[in-house]
Amino acid sequence: MKNSKLFVLFLVVVFGTLVLSGFSSVFAADYPDHEITIVVPYNAGGASDMTSRIVATGMQEALGQTILVVNKPGGSGGVGMSEVRAAKPDGYTISYIPVEIVMHETLKLSDLKSDDFDYIGQLTLVPSALTVAADAPYNTVKEFVDYALAHPGEVTIGNSGAGSIWHIAATYLEQVSGAKFNHIPFDGAAPAVTALMGGHINAVTVNAGEVLSGVEAGKLKILAIMTEERDPNMPDVPTMKESGFDVVIGGWGGLGVPKGTPADVMEKLSAAVEKATDSQEFKDFISQRGMVVCYKNSADFTKFVADQTVFFTDLLSKMELGG
Amino acid sequence: MIESLGSLMQGLAVAISPMNILYCFIGCAVGMLVGVLPGIGPTEATALLIPLTYGMSPVSAIIMLCGIYYGGMYGGTITSVLINTPGEAASVVTCLDGYPLAKQGRAGVALKVAAYGSFVGGILSIFGLVLLAPPLADWALKFGPSEMFALLVFGMCMVVGLMGKSMIRGLVSIFIGLLLALVGMDTVSGAVRFTLGSNQLVGGLSIVTICMGLFGLSEILVGMENLSQTNKVSSVASSKLRKEEWGPTVGSIIRGSFLGFFMGLIPGTSSAIPALISYSMEKRLSKHPEKFGTGIPEGVAGPETANNSYVGGAMIPLFTLGIPCSPTIAILMGAFMLHGLTPGPTLFIENPIVVWGTIASMFVGNIILLIMNVPLANVWAKVAQIPNKMLYPVVLIVAILGAYTVSNSMFEVGIMLVCGVIGYLLKKLDIPMAPIALVFVLSEMMERSILQSIKINKGLSGLYNSPICMTLLIISVIILIVSLFAEYSNKKSRFLTSDDE
Repeated sequence: MKNSKLFVLFLVVVFGTLVLSGFSSVFAADYPDHEITIVVPYNAGGASDMTSRIVATGMQEALGQTILVVNKPGGSGGVGMSEVRAAKPDGYTISYIPVEIVMHETLKLSDLKSDDFDYIGQLTLVPSALTVAADAPYNTVKEFVDYALAHPGEVTIGNSGAGSIWHIAATYLEQVSGAKFNHIPFDGAAPAVTALMGGHINAVTVNAGEVLSGVEAGKLKILAIMTEERDPNMPDVPTMKESGFDVVIGGWGGLGVPKGTPADVMEKLSAAVEKATDSQEFKDFISQRGMVVCYKNSADFTKFVADQTVFFTDLLSKMELGG
Repeated sequence: MIESLGSLMQGLAVAISPMNILYCFIGCAVGMLVGVLPGIGPTEATALLIPLTYGMSPVSAIIMLCGIYYGGMYGGTITSVLINTPGEAASVVTCLDGYPLAKQGRAGVALKVAAYGSFVGGILSIFGLVLLAPPLADWALKFGPSEMFALLVFGMCMVVGLMGKSMIRGLVSIFIGLLLALVGMDTVSGAVRFTLGSNQLVGGLSIVTICMGLFGLSEILVGMENLSQTNKVSSVASSKLRKEEWGPTVGSIIRGSFLGFFMGLIPGTSSAIPALISYSMEKRLSKHPEKFGTGIPEGVAGPETANNSYVGGAMIPLFTLGIPCSPTIAILMGAFMLHGLTPGPTLFIENPIVVWGTIASMFVGNIILLIMNVPLANVWAKVAQIPNKMLYPVVLIVAILGAYTVSNSMFEVGIMLVCGVIGYLLKKLDIPMAPIALVFVLSEMMERSILQSIKINKGLSGLYNSPICMTLLIISVIILIVSLFAEYSNKKSRFLTSDDE
């Protein structure tokens, strides 16, 4: 008797919980009702990680819920992003999405495709900068390219790994200028910059933030930055475009959720991201790291990712990689 | 030089303000803690604590974060000595003599010499940082891919010293290390190797996971076989050095200090390299090399000193040129930038308080760590008395947790378990474990640097055109020949006396 009463009570509780939780997911007006996780597919402490953590702090204020930042490194971002792709599209699992998403398929790094995600918004642009030793005989991109044309295959350009965004940037310059470089992959951007300072290679095409110390130490000089416009933090550095080479390329980072996330959840997230990227703290951090704050809303970012997918797929198909 | 000392005094005034001492203490304590827990290393801990420093003054923030870095070096010793589980590559060699010492009830000795050695290494390297910084940093830049390759060849020859009694078994161990290092994407060609289609393996295996499996887990598995036997140390032996041990231990600490400092200067090295070289060097210089691996204090003191003085050395390229030499330094550099400071020579001029305050705080921090570690050594040493039945589950949990935190996934735990089983089998076959871990670390860098050198110079000319490179290669060859010869004559005499063990 007692047991059966207990059993009924148990059923009511279980059923009630199920119904209530069902309702709460139907009426996303409650979103967010518990903590949200942002997965960063890279190691703690890197630029992507720090960017995500600062944005998470801002979003937390806007959404009124705790946001956890979890690092799931591995496979050029493939491990973390795959995990988010497989998560429930309810807005509680967000991925930091780097430029690499548009290359995974072509480089055969994973089966991730850029349309596996719904895009919340873009956070940053990470421009590539052509940097050489301070005592190098060339002072402009034009002189550099002329030198490279006169010495085909001799100019060594360091990047942060074969198939990395900086490798692709140098290859793009190669295609546009007609020069032939010798690409030297390093294990990350910092070792490449160190090798440049030691005179072991001729140039690097990594992010400007990585070379700032070297420039201040008087050991390096930036010939040009590969953005549309000059960076307000480095007003003296010309763009590639100004120098006569139509090379606009760089990394970027944004946030995405699994495909099929409800529209109202997307709206809330997008608004929170916009607010977070507008904070002074975020702006200061990004500019100090040689990156550019570049907020794009969901629609614009989605279109941007689609354009980038076409651009990089085309570019990569012309490169020799994976040998 | 006098000028530097004057500035250092100013920095000291900053560093000994009560708040900064507190931050330094927090940093050191956190560093110790993460050093003890495998998985989360100083790199991750520094990264995770950076957001907490937003509201702090730049000096305090940097002081605290630096504390984590060198505090972690102290902490890493503890697990290596007590449970034979190195939390990071730098502590692998510490296991070789540290764990046998613990088994003899002398864990306190191992931990104390490590603490004193770390202190001396830390302090000497800071003096080096103060007095020699700028000229040395420029010299260190000469280490490009070719020179790096030669240095790693030299390191590989040092591994020979760790091979144990049997050359064949040592070689098997080395090849396993090479094999493991092949997994993952090759940075130079971009080719993905031996990943069995798993994208978790694209980035290669993690040294932390491998160490915990090969060392920690396999130790438990072997220990499980004789759980019923009470072979535990019943009493903790005196934690004082024996009279005859003083000389070699002090010598190894001094040699380790210099070695670590110079290795720290070279961009792209890892603190495992000076620890390894120090151990091999001590063994070679010792009057009783056969005792290495059975638990002698100088086998712990040298490497532990070297990996601590490495920290001071590694700060030089950061402060003078803005070059991050190691992953942790790269994170520290991020912290500088977060506080609006760009590391490099201009920092000395624009913000001397930060630079000298930080350097001076390293003195303070090392003293704090010494005060913390010496009395604690006796407490920790008691862990060696805990019955295995109770200790093993705890170690297992720590190892699983550690493997999980490497990339926040169960995948790493699986790898760790597999490594544990492999480690168990290798132990049964009497194959030494340390070469696997060290070769794993070295060969990855070695492959990369030789490929880079070949690509830059369009051939091998980079190797013979560089004097540094040639010198290192010649020394390596000499060491190799001497070792082989020693091994050969050893074998012969052993054969004659038919004494196999």
